[in-house]
Parts: sequence; C-alpha cells; structure tokens
Amino acid sequence: MGKYIVKRILLLIPTILLVCVIVFALMRLIPMDAVAVLQNKLSASGNYVDEDYVRALLGLDKPAIQQFFIWIADVLRGDLGDSFFDHTTVNQILASKLPVTLELGILSLIFTNLISIPLGLFCAAHQDSISDYTIRVISTILIAMPVFWIATLVLIYPNLWWGWAPTVTYTPIWEAPIENLKMFILPALLSAMGQAGIQMRTIRTMTLEVMRQDYIRTAWAKGVPERRVMTHYAFRNALIPIITMIGGSVSMMIGGNVVMENIFNIPGLGSAMVSALNSRDYPIVQGCVLVLALFVMVINLIVDIAYKWIDPRVQLD
Amino acid sequence: MKKKNGPAPAPKPGPAKNPDKVPFIVELAKKKPLGLLGLIILIGFLLVAIFADQLAPYPMLNGVMQSSIIDKLQGPSAAHLLGTDNLGRDVLSYLIYGARTSAVLGICCTLLSVTISVLIGTLSATIGGWFDLIVQRIVDAVQCIPATLILLILMSMLGNGIPQMIFAMSVPGGITGSRMMRSAAISVKDSGYVKNSGLLGAGTMWKTFKHVVPNILPIIITNAASSLGGVILQESSLNFLGFGVDPGTPSWGYMITNQGKANMYLMPSLAVYPGVCIALMVFGATMFGDAVRDLLDPRLKGGVGTYNGKKLKKIAQKMSIKYHYTEPETQA
Repeated sequence: MGKYIVKRILLLIPTILLVCVIVFALMRLIPMDAVAVLQNKLSASGNYVDEDYVRALLGLDKPAIQQFFIWIADVLRGDLGDSFFDHTTVNQILASKLPVTLELGILSLIFTNLISIPLGLFCAAHQDSISDYTIRVISTILIAMPVFWIATLVLIYPNLWWGWAPTVTYTPIWEAPIENLKMFILPALLSAMGQAGIQMRTIRTMTLEVMRQDYIRTAWAKGVPERRVMTHYAFRNALIPIITMIGGSVSMMIGGNVVMENIFNIPGLGSAMVSALNSRDYPIVQGCVLVLALFVMVINLIVDIAYKWIDPRVQLD
Repeated sequence: MKKKNGPAPAPKPGPAKNPDKVPFIVELAKKKPLGLLGLIILIGFLLVAIFADQLAPYPMLNGVMQSSIIDKLQGPSAAHLLGTDNLGRDVLSYLIYGARTSAVLGICCTLLSVTISVLIGTLSATIGGWFDLIVQRIVDAVQCIPATLILLILMSMLGNGIPQMIFAMSVPGGITGSRMMRSAAISVKDSGYVKNSGLLGAGTMWKTFKHVVPNILPIIITNAASSLGGVILQESSLNFLGFGVDPGTPSWGYMITNQGKANMYLMPSLAVYPGVCIALMVFGATMFGDAVRDLLDPRLKGGVGTYNGKKLKKIAQKMSIKYHYTEPETQA
C-alpha cells in the first residue's frame, strides 16, 4: 500500500510537468500576445504603448524556453508569478478565489449525491416499475437540458412573474453565511442537476449488475429484508464504480463551473481565468491551471486509495 | 445514424444464442422503444438540418440570414410564426439553421474525437513499452486540466468558427476518451489470435487495425453514440460563453445569450425556444446512445435481473414469500 502511494506520487511529477508544458505552450500559441491585446485596447481610446518596452518589463522579450524555465523555477519556490496588469500576485488571486470555487463545487457535489444515490437505489430496487420509468425519463431530461439555459430562465421568469431575482452579489461566507448560502444554493443546485441525472443512472445500472450476483440471491433466499439487501449487500458492492464517478465529477465541478460563475456573477476561479485568458494575463491562467490540475490529481489518487479501503479485494498495482 | 442498416455485431463472450441476424433497427424497436424514439428525434433534426434551405420560411441569402431591422422583436404572427429577434431575423428560420450548425458540429466532433481516441488508445495498447508510458502521461496531463478551460484556450488560439470548434472540441475529448479504448484494446491484444498473427508475420499496424479495432468495435460504436449528446451540450455552452461560431452563424447556444438574455424583459421567449431545441436534440441523442449501449455492450448483455429471477419467483410463490420480480424485456 505504502509502496503504491509512493509510486503514484512519483508518477505525479512527470504529469504535472507535462501540464506546465502544455498550458505554457498553448498560452504562447494564442495569436496576439499580452502586449498586443493591451495595445489594441488602448488604441481604442487613442493611446499608445511602447510595445518593446512593455515586453521587456513583463519579461516577454526573452525566448519562450527561457521564460518557461524562469516560470518553473519560480513555481518551485512557491511563487506562481505576478499578474501582468493588476497589482496582485497569482497566489493572492488563488487565495481569494479558490475558496469560492471550492464552495460552489462542494455544495453542488453534496446536492448531486443527495439526489442521485437515493434515487438510483430506489430505481434499482423497483426496476421497471412506473416510478422507475418516470425517474429515469426525468433524469434524461435533466441531462438533456443545458444548464446555462435553465440558469438564464431562472434569471428571467421569476423576475417577470413575481419580481423575485436570485442574489448575484457575493458576500464572503465568514461575514454573512446566510447571504452567502442564498447566493450559492441556486447555482449549486442547478449544476448538480445534470450531474445527478448521469450519476443516478450509473448507480442504478451498477446496483442492478450487482443484484445479479449469487450472494444477493442467497441473501434473498435466507430472508434478509429488502431494505437491508439493498443497502448492505447491493449498494456496498456497487460503490466502486460510483466512487470513480464521484471522483470524476469532483474534478469536473472544480474546473467546469465557468458557465455558472459567469451567469450568477460569482467571483470564482473560472471567471478569473476566462478574463485573464481574454486579456492574455499568462501567469494567472498558468498558475490557476497548475493548481487546479494538482487538485484533480490528488483527488484521483484519493479515489484510487479509497477503492482499496472500500473493497479489500482490489489489487493496487 | 449510419448504423441503422448494419447488422448488430454479435456479443463476444458467452454462448451466442443465435448470432443476431435481426437488423439493428428492428432489435432497437423491439427491445428499446425509447431508444427508437431518440433515433427518430435525431433523424428528424438531421432532416431539418439537411433541408434547412427548403424548410425555412426566410432562407439564407448568400450565407447570411435575412433580416429587416424594422420588424425587430415582434411577437408571433402569420408572417413570422415564432416572431423575430433583435435584428429582425425570423426566429423559426434561425432555429432551423441552428439545427444545421448543431448537427454538423455534433457529427463531425463525434467522428473525429472517436477516431482520435481509437488511434491513440489502440496504438498505445498494441505498441506498448515506452510509447505507451509516454502517451499515457500525456493523456494524464490533458485529463487533469479543467476541460472547459482547455476548450476556451484552444478556441482563443484558433478563433471563432465551426472548423475551429470541431478541432478544439474533438482533440482534448479524443485524448481523454482514449483511456477506455486502451483498456478495451489491452483485453483483446493478448488473445491467441492476435498474438499468433505475429507468427504469420503480422506487424503492429496489421494487428491493431485488422484484429484489435474490429474486435472493440461495439465499444467504439457505443462510445460514439453516447458521446453525441455531450458534444451538442458542450457546443452550445461554448457558444453561450461567446467562444463559439462566428456571430453571423445561427446557433442555439449563441441565441440564448445574445438574443435571449440580452432582451430578457422584452422578449423572454427568445431564450426559451433555442433551449428547447437543444434539450430535445440531446434528449434524443442520450436515449439513442443508452439504447445502443444496452444492446451492444457485452457486459450489460442479458438484461438485469434475469439471473434465475423467474425460478426464484416460482420458488417464492410455492413458499408463499413475497418476491418482487418483473419481466426484464421491457427496460428502456
């Protein structure tokens, strides 16, 4: 076990290096670099910058390879760099925005599991009944509806009908927890819906697959109550693929909520990265992607270790 | 949609009862009525996309939607069945052309990304060794980067437009999807016929494309069918964020932000119609994809609950124990 964890952590190193290379290269491949975008913006108001001077100031005049190694050396010292255009460092941005993104992610993860696990088990227990059909059709509809569309409708119609609008001003959770939750619950619930639909169906399929096994038949035959068969025999054994799924949705929810942050005006990492991408603020994008990727990798590792913990039969190689 | 006339590939493991001679469409209709409904919805949208020029009341002229700014933001009328948008374009025609955009993107992205994942996955499995190790680290790295962000970076690299979207959506999707192909290929490549074909002088390429790929074909088709819905959703959310098609190209996702959200108090219906279209198309794709998976995926074959269920029920009846068992044939 210990050996396995060490091996996995060692494997993280080349992967994270590759993430650095990919993000760095992609950012430099975007046509119009940071200075050109700045020039473009300024020229609209009749201003002008000395491009070469600004490039030298930002360190963009050096060859890309050299820039890369300077960045990596900084990262290894724990300094993710400074923003090109704002007086902040990437570390500060991460410190202020990562909690917001994580809060949204964790809330929607909680909603996803609260919805999907009971419904999935219910559908598996009542396979092919009318309620099973109804729940599955509704879940497919939930998957099919684009989440940004529902969010847009939620912004429009309650306001037209009842004059109610969702909260779109952010207050930190330690200052006004109620206000904060009021803002987060709606986007979290909305982004949980589609994911819950997908997850519910997986839970149903996996539980049904487990229910074909001999030990379930034995449990039935010896008269174990239905509820106990579901929770203690079927669900526990169906947990492995479910855990894989939850691991996948964690990484999706950390990085994938750009749309929700955009619609509900949430100052999270996603919107910060998009605006940094638009102004070509390379250090912000690179730093944020690096941290998020690291997060995802650690979660994947935890998921793999959780297998062993849940199911001692699993052999880690 | 191409698959409808092809015979369903027989399941590999287990004793095949009678190698499916039934055309796929018949099997689909019999076993998965909801899957058939999905297929019908998809074909419907495809027909709308193909015959957009004939169907649209105000067809495109030289690739541009007709607009008359005087008639902007009108409600439904005989001239404009669903009204007009903020530029005076007929909403119904816009939606019809939007189907074309979605269909082109959906089909091209699915084909390209599946091709990429099959190439990477199977070659990585059959070549193995250092190649496999390096390729898998790259796949790892791409998987760790938030998917939305990598899409947005690629789109700002390539600029707006349909070909750019196809590239930006298929390449990362294909790379991350290659994992499944690799594990499927690994389970095939060690079978006797693949190994022994090496004795007959088969090279890696021959083994890969003559033996491994045909044998994981059910998984490939399943993967393609079930990823179609996701591709359409992804495309519309890219358009929603403004990183999608050119502003002149009709697109449902683009319509939700730029016509719908921008005029949400004047004409909220502009945000409703395109969303309904997206949802309907994705619903069809998901239903169809699920049905294809259930029919082709050998792991799930045989229906769930068939395991001695009938026998158990009889025994239970004899012993007058309450036992829930329903026929597995009618699962959708």
